[in-house]
Parts: sequence; structure tokens; C-alpha cells
Amino acid sequence: MRHFAVELEELNQALLEMGALVESTIHCSVQALVDRDERMARRVIEDETRVNQMELDVDSRVTRLLALNQPVAGDLRLLIIALKINTDLERMGDLAVNIAERAISLSKAPIVKPLIDTPRMASLVEDMLHRSLDAFVKRDADLAAKVLPADDEVDSLRDRIYSELLELMQHSPNVVPHAIHLMFVARNLERIADHTTNIAEDVIFLVRGVDVRHHHVAGDKF
Amino acid sequence: MQTGAKILRHFEQELEQLKGKLLEMSALVEAAVQRSVSAVTQKDRSAAEQVFRDEARVNQLEMEIDEFAINLLATQQPLAADLRLVVAALKINTDLERMGDLSVSIAQRAVSLLSEPVIQPMVDIRHMSALVESMVRKSMDAFVAHDADMARSVLASDDAVDSLRTASYHELVSFMEKDPHNIPQALDLIGITRSLERIADHSTNIAEDVLFLVKGVDVRHHAEARR
Repeated sequence: MRHFAVELEELNQALLEMGALVESTIHCSVQALVDRDERMARRVIEDETRVNQMELDVDSRVTRLLALNQPVAGDLRLLIIALKINTDLERMGDLAVNIAERAISLSKAPIVKPLIDTPRMASLVEDMLHRSLDAFVKRDADLAAKVLPADDEVDSLRDRIYSELLELMQHSPNVVPHAIHLMFVARNLERIADHTTNIAEDVIFLVRGVDVRHHHVAGDKF
Repeated sequence: MQTGAKILRHFEQELEQLKGKLLEMSALVEAAVQRSVSAVTQKDRSAAEQVFRDEARVNQLEMEIDEFAINLLATQQPLAADLRLVVAALKINTDLERMGDLSVSIAQRAVSLLSEPVIQPMVDIRHMSALVESMVRKSMDAFVAHDADMARSVLASDDAVDSLRTASYHELVSFMEKDPHNIPQALDLIGITRSLERIADHSTNIAEDVLFLVKGVDVRHHAEARR
């Protein structure tokens, strides 16, 4: 049997690799939307297969480690959290694919508004993901705790995008389908941010042993 | 000193307790989904308020189930099928909690729709929610009964939900284009169908976990293995 510590390290690496890929699909999906770049959007959609494969791989690593090593205490908590982070990352990948699909639909339509807040929201969300995974690797609860407040900023950007688009639709009903796509993009980015806060909360649980979930209410705007 | 048989019995009791907690949670979530939908279709404020009140209990149960499962892994170190059961319970727990959140979101929209005149007879939403509610119920029944066939029937319904949602989406967009006054309400209805579709997706996840549990085969992301 291979050494437990080596396998744990490999699991860490697998999650980080998956995190990096998901981060890049989020970035590229929004970039594809802004640049009206259908090819880039298609690449995001193609990458989904890899993300899904990685999810299955991480799950089977965790199950094997649980079965063969029967870990307790800290190591056990780590494995459970790896399972949860895995689920969150896979869902973020799905949300990026949904943005990419909308980018394709919009790439041929006339532009209805310049996109300023959406890429801003995307870079905020990418940064949250990056920092939450960094906190996971370093087992740093303080770093993880710093991710949580950014969620409010994401929510207020989403609110602003939402009300701008609502106004736009009410003035020109012909842009309704287009505006709805953009609302869903903002909504997906907000959901991605929620998943990064899940990861940050898991890291805090891992390090401090305190469950900080459900201490704030998530309002679903769209 | 404990005998082997006693230890085994104790372990089985704990597994049963874990299942019991999950069922308590799924009963709550099932009721929340139903109530949130009737809050929309019957304009029933008290149903929406019940959903808001129950959310705290769902969240509490999620944390309890996680803790219970982790303790069980630590103290009993289950193997093979038992290990798979505990891992599936952890995943189902996450799905159920998210379904609870989605019902809250539907109930919030129901409240904002209370004072609005009905622009669309809610045929689509009724139809879609009936299907989604049956998926939720069947996925958990399949879990309890270890019934792979029932789990597969949940997977089959997911496409029907998606096409109902698409149909209702196009109809709502045309309402919005016809009269901009309809826009806020139609957006709420689009949001509601989206939440219902996500609830169906989570039931699908549960059904996939059940197949993994019963067959030991991971059917996620493999369309052909689902059959």
C-alpha cells in the first residue's frame, strides 16, 4: 500500500488542477461573452468533459483513501471536505458552460449595452475562487475568512446589473431575450461566488473545527 | 467487553439512524417544494411563510447529518457497501439542502407575485412542478428501497422537465415583448421555472448516487450507463 501522506498530496494536487481549470473556464466564458468570441466559448464547452472526468477521479481517490486507510480526526475531515470542494468545483464548471452557451447565442446578436460590470464581477469571482483554494492548500482559516465579505460585493454588482437590464427591457422590449441572457450570466457568476464561499467555509471548518455555514441568508435574485 | 455481534448491531443501528435523519430532511424538503409551488399557483402567502420558517430546520439538519456521517466514518470505519452508503448520504445531504434553498427562492418570488394580476394561466408551472415533485419523491424512495429501476425512472424525467421549461420560457418572453408591464412578473416566473429545473437536477444527482450505491457503477457524466 502506498503511503497515505503521498496519496493525500496527490489528492490535493488533483483538486488544485481541477480548480485551475475551472478558474480558467470561468474567465474564458466571460471573455468570450465580452469579445463575442464563439470559438473561445466552444473551448469552454469542450473543457467540461475534462472537469467532469476530474470530478470522478477526485471522488474515487477519496473513496479509496477512506476505504484503505480508515483515517480519523483531521485526515478524515480533510477527505470529507475534498468531496465537498469537488462537488462545488464541478458545479462551477457547469455554470461557466452555461455562460459560454449564452455567449454563443449573443455573439451574433447586435450589442445592446457595453459590458462593464459583468467582467468586473467575473474577475472578483475568479479572485474569490483563487483565494479560497489557496486557503485550502495552506490550511489558512484567516485567508478563507477574507473570502466571505467579497460575496456581498458580488451581490451588489448583480443587483446593479439586474436593475439596469430591467430598465433596458422596459424601454425596448425587442431586447428582452438578449437582456435575459445577460441577467442569467450575472446570476451564474453570483452562484459561482456562492460556491467559492462554500469552499472558504469548508476550509474554516477544516482548520478550526467550527461549522460556519448558514450564518448568512442567501437571497436568490435571479 | 463488547462482542462482535453487539458491535455490528450498533453499527447497523447507526446506519439506520443516518438514513432516518436523511428521510426527515427529505420529507421537510419535499414539503417545502410543494408549499413553495402552491404559494405561487394558489397565491397562498401562508404556504410561503411556512417555507421560510422551515428553512432553519433544513439547515440545522444538514449540519447534523454531516456531523453524524463523519462520526460514523471515524468510529466505525465502514467498508465497501457501507462506506458507499455513508458517502452517498453526504452527497444527498448537500443536494437536499440546496433544494431547500431553491424552494425558499420560489417562495420569495411567490410573495412578490401575490399582488400581481395573473398574466399567464400557470398551466406550465403546475405541470412542471408535478413532474419535479414526483422526481424528488421517487429519488428518495429509490434511496430507501435501494431500487435501481426507480432511480433510472428519475433520470428519464429530467429531459421532460427541461423541455417544459424551454416551452414556458418562450411563452413568457413573448408576454414581455408584447407588454413591458409584464416584464417584472414574467422574470419572476422565469426564475421560478429555473429553480424547479434545478430541483429536478438535484433529484437526478440523488438518483445517480442511488445507482452508484446499488450497482457500484458511477453513472455521472455517462449517458449510456444510465440505461
